Amino acid sequence: MKPAPFGYERPRDLQAALAVLGEAKTSAKIIAGGQSLGPMLNLRLVEPQLIVDISGLAELKQVERRGDELVLGACVTHADIEDGRIPDVTRGAMQGVAGNIAYRAVRNRGTVGGSLSHADPAADWVSALSALGARLTLRSLSGARMVAMEDFIVGALESALRDGEIVETIHVPAMPASAHWGYAKSCRKTGEFAHAIGAILIDPSAATARVVIGAIDSAPVVITNAAELFGGRIAGDYKDRFDARVADVLLAKAGVSNAAHRHIHVNVLKRAVSEAAA
Amino acid sequence: MNMIALTVNQRAVQVSAEPRTNLADFVRDKLDLTGTHLGCEHGVCGACTVLLDGVPARSCITYAVACEGAEVTTIEGLDEDDVTTELRAAFTREHALQCGYCTPGMLVSARDLVLRLPQADERLIRVGLTGNLCRCTGYVGIVRAVQSVIEARRARNIAPEPDGGRKILGPVGSGRSVHHGADRAERMPPLGSEQTSPEAASSVASIPDFIPATVLTQHFSVAHPPEQVFAMFDDIAAVAACLPGASLTAPPKPERVEGAIRVRIGPIAATFQGAARVEQSPADMSGRIVGIGNDRRSRSSTQGEIRYRLVPIEQGTRVDLSIGYTLTGMLAQVGRPGLVRDLAARLIAEFAGNLDRRLSGSSPGDDTAAELNGMALVFSLLRARVARWVGRFSSKNDEAT
Repeated sequence: MKPAPFGYERPRDLQAALAVLGEAKTSAKIIAGGQSLGPMLNLRLVEPQLIVDISGLAELKQVERRGDELVLGACVTHADIEDGRIPDVTRGAMQGVAGNIAYRAVRNRGTVGGSLSHADPAADWVSALSALGARLTLRSLSGARMVAMEDFIVGALESALRDGEIVETIHVPAMPASAHWGYAKSCRKTGEFAHAIGAILIDPSAATARVVIGAIDSAPVVITNAAELFGGRIAGDYKDRFDARVADVLLAKAGVSNAAHRHIHVNVLKRAVSEAAA
Repeated sequence: MNMIALTVNQRAVQVSAEPRTNLADFVRDKLDLTGTHLGCEHGVCGACTVLLDGVPARSCITYAVACEGAEVTTIEGLDEDDVTTELRAAFTREHALQCGYCTPGMLVSARDLVLRLPQADERLIRVGLTGNLCRCTGYVGIVRAVQSVIEARRARNIAPEPDGGRKILGPVGSGRSVHHGADRAERMPPLGSEQTSPEAASSVASIPDFIPATVLTQHFSVAHPPEQVFAMFDDIAAVAACLPGASLTAPPKPERVEGAIRVRIGPIAATFQGAARVEQSPADMSGRIVGIGNDRRSRSSTQGEIRYRLVPIEQGTRVDLSIGYTLTGMLAQVGRPGLVRDLAARLIAEFAGNLDRRLSGSSPGDDTAAELNGMALVFSLLRARVARWVGRFSSKNDEAT
C-alpha cells in the first residue's frame, strides 16, 4: 500500500512541463490532484519512474469566458465548480454534477482535466462533458489540437492523449436558455463510482438532443442527434416519447451483453430524461 | 530524499522525505503526529482526512512533496478550534465513537459540514459523511452529533460558509512552492528504483485444469478457409506473433509453451510470465489453450483458458472464442469483468487483423502495438490474461487526479 519509489518534478510552467514529458516519454506520469493516480500508485498498479506535478501551474488554473464558451484550465477542481468559484455557462448543470462527485475531501483536490485524462468510463465528467458538447485543447511541445469529448475517450482508461501531450483546457459551450438538462447516475453507495450514468441536453425548440449513456466499461455511448430515442422527432413531449427499446439496442450494440445491466442503464437514462423535462 | 517545507498546525516545518511519502506518513512518521490514521490507503475510508489549506483532503493519496508551502492541520491542531471543540462535546454526548479509529477523519469532515451546511439536514449530513467509514457506531450517534452542533450554531446566528472559506482555484495544497534558482524544474531523482527482474517462466511447474471465475465470449472473422486458419493455429510461434504483447521465452511445444504477455490498460501495465499447453481437435476444428502465469510486480497470478472453434462462413471463417480466466492478487481487487471485456474486444480485433494479414502472406509487423497508441495490449492467449484492472478501484476517487 505504499507506492514504489518515483522521481518527482514540479515544473515552473506549462512549457517546462511539456519539455519534461517530451523527454521522459512513457516512463512519466502527470499528477494534478492525484485522486485517481494516488490510489493506483499506492496499490502499485502504476509504477512510473517520474511523476510530473502540474498542480501548481497557474496557467492551468485560469478560467475565462471566451465568446460563447467557458474555457476552464485543466487544474480547476470539482469543488471549484461546486462552490461557484468559476463562472457558469451551463445554467447550473456543471455545478450539479460537480457536487456529487466522490466526497468533498476528494473534490477539493481532484481536477477536471485529471479526471478526463484518467478516462475512467464511470467518471462523471466523462459523461457530463460529452453531453454538454465540450471540447478539449490538448497540448504538446509540437503544438495544440482540439478534440471533441466524444472523440477523446477511446475506451476504459484509454484516451486520445499521445505521449507528451496533456489536457490544457476544457471548452464548455454556453447552454441555450431553451435547452433542458438532465443528469442521473446509479451508485451502490453515495460517492462511489457510478454503475450507470445517463445525461441529456435537449432543446425541444431547436429539435436537437445530445444523449450520453455512460459508465459502461468502455467509452460512453454518445448520441449527438438523439431523435431516434424519441420516436424520430424531438419536441416538447419528448419525455413521453422516450423509447426505452432504442436505448436498449444501443447498449447491446455497445457490448453491454447483460440484460440486467442494460435495464439499469436504460432506467437511469429515463431518470435523466424525466429530470430534463421536470 | 528531498527537503519539504510546509506549515503543520501553524508551525513551520522542514523535513526531508521521499517523493512517494504520503502526507499521512509524513505527519505520523516524521512529526510524530499520530492522530492522523491510515485505513485503506487509497482514498476510500476517510480515516486520514486532514485540513489542507483549511479544507478537508485525503492525506493518504496526497504526497507530502506536492504540498510544499501548504498549510496542514491535523487533528492535533484542532484542540483549540471552536467548531471542533463543540463537536468533541457532541460526539461524547451522542456516543459518536467506539474504537475511535475513524474519529480524527470523522471530526475533520464533520467540521467541514458544520461550516458549510446551511441547516442541520439529516440527509445532507449523511451524504456529506459518506466518505468517512465507521465500523462501530452505525453512524446514528455521529449524525446526531453533527446535527446538534449545526443547530446550535445556526441558532447563535453563525452563518454557513458554503465554500468553506476557499477563494482560489486549483487543488488544495498546491501552488505555494517557492521557486528559486534557474532550473526549469524541481527535480528529484528516484532512489534506486530497480526494474523488476523477469521471473523465469520455467518456474511454473505444471499447468493444471481449472474452472474459470469469469468467462467471456467473443468472435471474429477472417477471409480465409477454416482449414488454413486451423493449420495456422497449430503454429504456436505464428499465433504468438499475432498477439500484441506476447513473446515466447523458449521453443514452443504443444504440451508446454513458455512465454510472457504484456497487458496494458491506461497507466496500468502487467507482464504475466508463465506456461501454457495447447490442445487441438481436428474433427470439429476446435482447440484449447490453457495456461497459468504470474505478474511479479503486482503479485498477481492468473489462470486462463481460451477455447476456440472455427465455423465456415461465406467469406471465410468465423472464429468463436470463449475466454475464461481466474485472477488472484492485487489486480483482482480492482478488476471488473466489463473492463476486461472491453480490453479483450480490442485485443481480439488486433489479433484478428494480424492473423488475417499473416494468412494473406504478409507479416503482422510492428505496426500493431504502435497502432494502439502504445498500449501493448495483449492478450493472452497464452494465458489468459488478466487484466483488469481498472480503475475503479477505489471506489471513489472518481475523478481525480
